[in-house]
Amino acid sequence: MKTPQLLAASLAAMLFLSACDKPEPVTYTVPKEERSATVLNQAPQPQPEVDTSKMQPLPGMAEAAEAAPELTYTVPEGWDEFPPQSVRKANFRVSDESGSAEIAVTVFPGDVGGKLANINRWRSQIGLDPVDLQGMRQVVRPLMISQHSGMLVSLPGPEQSILGAILDFHGSTWFFKMQGATGTVASQSGAMETFLSSVQIGDHHHH
Amino acid sequence: MTPLFKFFASLRLTVVLLAFSIVLVFFGTLDQVHYGIWETQKRYFESFFVIWSYPEQWIAYDALFWLHLPMPGGYLLGGMLLINLLTAHFTRFKLSLKKSGIFLVHFGLILLLVSELLTDLVSQESQMPIDEGSSMNYSQAFRANELVFIDRSHPEHDTVHSIPTELLKPGVNIEVPDTPLSIRTVRFFPNADVGRAQAPISSNLADSGVAVKMNVVATPKAVSYAENYINTETAYVEISGEDGVIGTWLVSNVIDERFPPQMVSYGEQAWEVAIRFTRYYYPFSLELIDFKHEKYPGTEIPFNFSSEINVDHEDDTKDQKALIYMNHPLRYEGLTFYQASFANQDKTSIFQVVRNPGWVLPYVSVLLMGLGMCVQFGMHFFKFISKRGTA
Repeated sequence: MKTPQLLAASLAAMLFLSACDKPEPVTYTVPKEERSATVLNQAPQPQPEVDTSKMQPLPGMAEAAEAAPELTYTVPEGWDEFPPQSVRKANFRVSDESGSAEIAVTVFPGDVGGKLANINRWRSQIGLDPVDLQGMRQVVRPLMISQHSGMLVSLPGPEQSILGAILDFHGSTWFFKMQGATGTVASQSGAMETFLSSVQIGDHHHH
Repeated sequence: MTPLFKFFASLRLTVVLLAFSIVLVFFGTLDQVHYGIWETQKRYFESFFVIWSYPEQWIAYDALFWLHLPMPGGYLLGGMLLINLLTAHFTRFKLSLKKSGIFLVHFGLILLLVSELLTDLVSQESQMPIDEGSSMNYSQAFRANELVFIDRSHPEHDTVHSIPTELLKPGVNIEVPDTPLSIRTVRFFPNADVGRAQAPISSNLADSGVAVKMNVVATPKAVSYAENYINTETAYVEISGEDGVIGTWLVSNVIDERFPPQMVSYGEQAWEVAIRFTRYYYPFSLELIDFKHEKYPGTEIPFNFSSEINVDHEDDTKDQKALIYMNHPLRYEGLTFYQASFANQDKTSIFQVVRNPGWVLPYVSVLLMGLGMCVQFGMHFFKFISKRGTA
């Protein structure tokens, strides 16, 4: 190879390689995933290398999840249980011929924006339009959970549905949520209500 | 030979470039104290030019603050050295058996320079933390963040629209790829304090999402270059549909999956919006069967860490088991998994995941240079021996 070509080629190669590095917006698909906190984000113990404990958690969030009282329940037949993770106190999955659904129990401090906001958040997850207070009354009914009054929320959607419960419990809010294929959620609604009636949350406020 | 060739092929250029390299390494080392190794490497060695500034921490900063020293960066010096070596080779050297050793040494050196550049440009490091009994199909960067819009409406898969946070510059509009949405960055903080305000915020930049619902505010603070520190990247982002602004959200890498997702709805669709560590997804997942952490008896000094894992590939023929421990990484599908750390009372193992397609080049180049030297010295040696024999 002659020298000028060589020079040009190596310069071009360098420029080309540096261009590869440029960040740009992209779209990609991933297998359906659970929204679960990865360990890097939990408050970990001190450890070598990357010490993520220095990442500032919002005051009160992780602590409230940690300090949340014990939960006991009976697992309905056909539900597969998975270990709790981060703010998820319990995790289940159930499948039948119309698809599958996931059941998660979470707890957060405070009222987490209020019932209406949370119901509308759930509605948006299954592609339903938000409702106002009037509309909210159409989709909820009162339900006792662990001797406290909560509400059962039924949101049937075209493909995905949610059947859940929201419970105020001494300054925290517990969410029990079944989300999945509309057919599965419908056929499991009895099991869900049985599950909810079996739930007992450790309570140190009454003696 | 034209003057241009002469210039590029001259040994004088080599000496000047090497001298500049020494200067670069010297000032890079000085700055490493303030910026840490990662940032220094980026500024000094993975750049064409760099300007050294008189450090604030040094004495008489108030008198010498104006002192700036521009110098060529690592890419420029390395690139010039490569060109210099190549031109010198092709104009001056003639390949002969007598010079074959030198040829090998030079070729090894060229390969080394090229492999360094390749490593800089295409290698990628990230981390994969896995809990015992669970599995993971992605790793995450520990410095780079991405702004993501996640569409979870499809029953089979989730669609992620990702914008690297490097692109978030105040006032700049960016189309969210393959969605009707676009964003305008209102504020971007490379590091911030994010927390709940005690009193209602009078002038909240955000009008949607967690900032409003939970009264969360962000205040900027200085970026830290400390080795183990994670900067809280935070932004106020105005999101628009095709027919106007939808709202302004506060997003941050501390507002993560511990929180209810922040949703953006437009028309029939809804997306979760968040800033998170940039994720790299793989067509396989690693399941952590068991993590062992052995200590020397009676001490807290680690003796061995090991992780027993199962690799579950979409293509079942590629499934395998492996044991990863110190100095014994798993090389799989162009990636290397090193045992890096652990957490969570020894229930979580953290792997360093390195993609470096050129990892074998430095070995080859060192081998070539060694071989070249052996050949060259060997020839001299045998010539000397045979001369003595005849004398």
